[in-house]
Amino acid sequence: MNILGMGVISACGRGVDYFEKALNEGWKKPSEIEVPHLKNRKSPVYQVDLKDVSEKNLFKKMRRSDKLSKMAVVAASEAFRNSGLENMDKRTVGIIVATAFGAHVTTFNLLDDILDHGEAEVSPTVFSNSVHNAVASYISSALGIRGPSLTVTQFYFSFHYALQLSRLWLDEERCDYVLVGVAEQYGEVLRYIYDTKLTMAGDGIIRPFNFKPTYQIPGEGAAFFLVSKRNSDNVLCKFENILIGGGAEGPGPVDLDIIDTDGILADESVYERSLSKDVPVAAYSPVFGSVMTGSAFNCAAGMLMLKNQIRYGNPVKDNPHGLNILNDTRNGPVELIRCIRYNCYGSNAVIYLRKKSLAND
Amino acid sequence: MITDNIIITGLGVISAAGNNLPETLDSFSRGKRNAGKVSLFDTSLSYPVFEVKTFPEKNYPEGQRTLRLALIAVDEALKDAQLEDELSEYRVGVCLGTTVASQLNDLDFYKSYRDHGSASMVPVDRYLKGNLAEFVSRKIKSKGPSLTVVNACSSGTDAIGVALSWLNNGLCDIAIAGGADELNRVPFCGFGSLGIVSPDLCAPFDRDRRGLNLGEGAGVMLIETKGSAEKRGAASDLYLSGYGSASDSYHLTAPRPDGAGLEAAIHKALAYSGIRPQEINFVNAHGTATPDNDVVEGRALHRIFGPGVKILSTKGYTGHTLGAAGGIEAVFTCAALRDGWIPASIGFANKDENIPVVPVMEKTTINGCCALSTSLAFGGNNAALIFGRRLKA
Repeated sequence: MNILGMGVISACGRGVDYFEKALNEGWKKPSEIEVPHLKNRKSPVYQVDLKDVSEKNLFKKMRRSDKLSKMAVVAASEAFRNSGLENMDKRTVGIIVATAFGAHVTTFNLLDDILDHGEAEVSPTVFSNSVHNAVASYISSALGIRGPSLTVTQFYFSFHYALQLSRLWLDEERCDYVLVGVAEQYGEVLRYIYDTKLTMAGDGIIRPFNFKPTYQIPGEGAAFFLVSKRNSDNVLCKFENILIGGGAEGPGPVDLDIIDTDGILADESVYERSLSKDVPVAAYSPVFGSVMTGSAFNCAAGMLMLKNQIRYGNPVKDNPHGLNILNDTRNGPVELIRCIRYNCYGSNAVIYLRKKSLAND
Repeated sequence: MITDNIIITGLGVISAAGNNLPETLDSFSRGKRNAGKVSLFDTSLSYPVFEVKTFPEKNYPEGQRTLRLALIAVDEALKDAQLEDELSEYRVGVCLGTTVASQLNDLDFYKSYRDHGSASMVPVDRYLKGNLAEFVSRKIKSKGPSLTVVNACSSGTDAIGVALSWLNNGLCDIAIAGGADELNRVPFCGFGSLGIVSPDLCAPFDRDRRGLNLGEGAGVMLIETKGSAEKRGAASDLYLSGYGSASDSYHLTAPRPDGAGLEAAIHKALAYSGIRPQEINFVNAHGTATPDNDVVEGRALHRIFGPGVKILSTKGYTGHTLGAAGGIEAVFTCAALRDGWIPASIGFANKDENIPVVPVMEKTTINGCCALSTSLAFGGNNAALIFGRRLKA
């Protein structure tokens, strides 16, 4: 399954160029905002700047949409633009959106309506935006996509299942292209939950190789990929395999492991056991923050490495367990990358990314 | 050549029409409509709803009504398929649709946070552990994929469609698929705000329809490859032959007026199944009883199937159960194929001149072997499933 285009919006900015720049530049201090439940304390967050999700033409039909949908539409549209295939027949394009928490900020706005104004005075706009698949609907409307559309949710592997299903849709010829991606929004209540259940990185640094204890900084954003069995000059790389739940063999020796450690699990030691001393490891959560569907952003980093034949050094290099981590950014051949994620039950999901080939998938 | 290699070996359903499939079919047969005022939460709104009033006695999780509904339907489907509730020896996929269970919308939790800056984490823990497919998958010790579909009112239909893809592509041998949703204050207020909830009992496709009634429930089917069923000595005449879906690319809450998205979804399902429109014996329509839905759907069905197709909406018995609707109606469609009858499309009395099809007005015998179940959803999703029954030689 070829990746024909990608679009990323995160605290790093909008578009592939900004994401690439952030990977090159390494860790930067996240912004700090007032958090009501932390009295007199500012708190770090990797937040998307609203000016990055403002685009007049694209948003004609979504003036009243929430930030989650706007981020997703921008990322999806960037994926199209990046592929150079914007004029394809949109009836042949499917959409799969994966999210952990969906439109929770808008849901809480709806609860505000009920509490403040009463049950009969709820805003219909807020209600319709609070439904999980509003994001996919806005993508479909804004980009004119008429193929199948699906929104899925799972707390840890939703991106992996979405990718797996994209491949099935292409194999079954339900569509010729799938726009698959993730969207998550930062919110005050989610922050409260994170801070209550997990440990905040007060110094603004996620340390992906600490494993235990772990430290999180909430992030937000959207990452979308246009995938197809078709080939084109613009192919970034390919999804070689998606293995969920373990048990199956991978496609061979890898050049790099990317792990999804970001402090969302209180104990991430399980990742250490999956690594080999012979294979360098990287984790890019310190660039975009702790996001339940952060696998998509780490995959985006992997795709850029395969496309550019470059290895981005780890943004945070604390290495208490003496792992073989990528210290510096350097050019060099990269053929196969393994992206690893674990859930809180110790089960894993692995995505293999391979350098593009000229033959069809 | 029709595709019949994925068979349905178990059915489970719960709604206001009954706590299991036999009770439900009895309600259908007698034309019972178990609607009333909301009793699940205090409310100032007075729309009628279809609530599940009693639950089977079993130790289901507390405080997670949608999950409880799902588990009741799963248990019935497993029993029907002669499977135990632990399936670790099989490769079982779990794909369930919902709307309410995907949202952290606990009003007391939020009010406490808003008022005091702190709140109990109990509702959060329930939410985090209560992802429908993940929970069911853990409970049965599944070794296959698990995924929760949140495609609004087509979620249950789409979940069964995902399961079909998994089975046809070897990701699992057995799938538990369908949908579940509880009656909840958020959609109750939200649908009210959209002005599409009827103050009376709903009347799908009727000239004087005034909107939908909300309901709750779950509908789940046990689907498996022929090979898997043969291996464990199970048999069934019912099969799942096709699924199609398409987007309207039109509006967040209103269906595309020309019905092109729904037509595309139905044609895709027919093509996947390898059958022609005239082989469809009846259509279990989405039929919400909103003015827009029924016109768009009725016209699209007429264009594809002509005036003679038997159509019905079962929402007059269950209310609109949102993410559960597709699962519940898929179960009803299979039961109708199995038993050879469909119930009256209750609530219908007068033909709407804008809708070129008329639903069945009485319990009707069916003789064919293929049927269609449709779902239209917020966001412009359209989805269609085709089921079949192998005729005895």
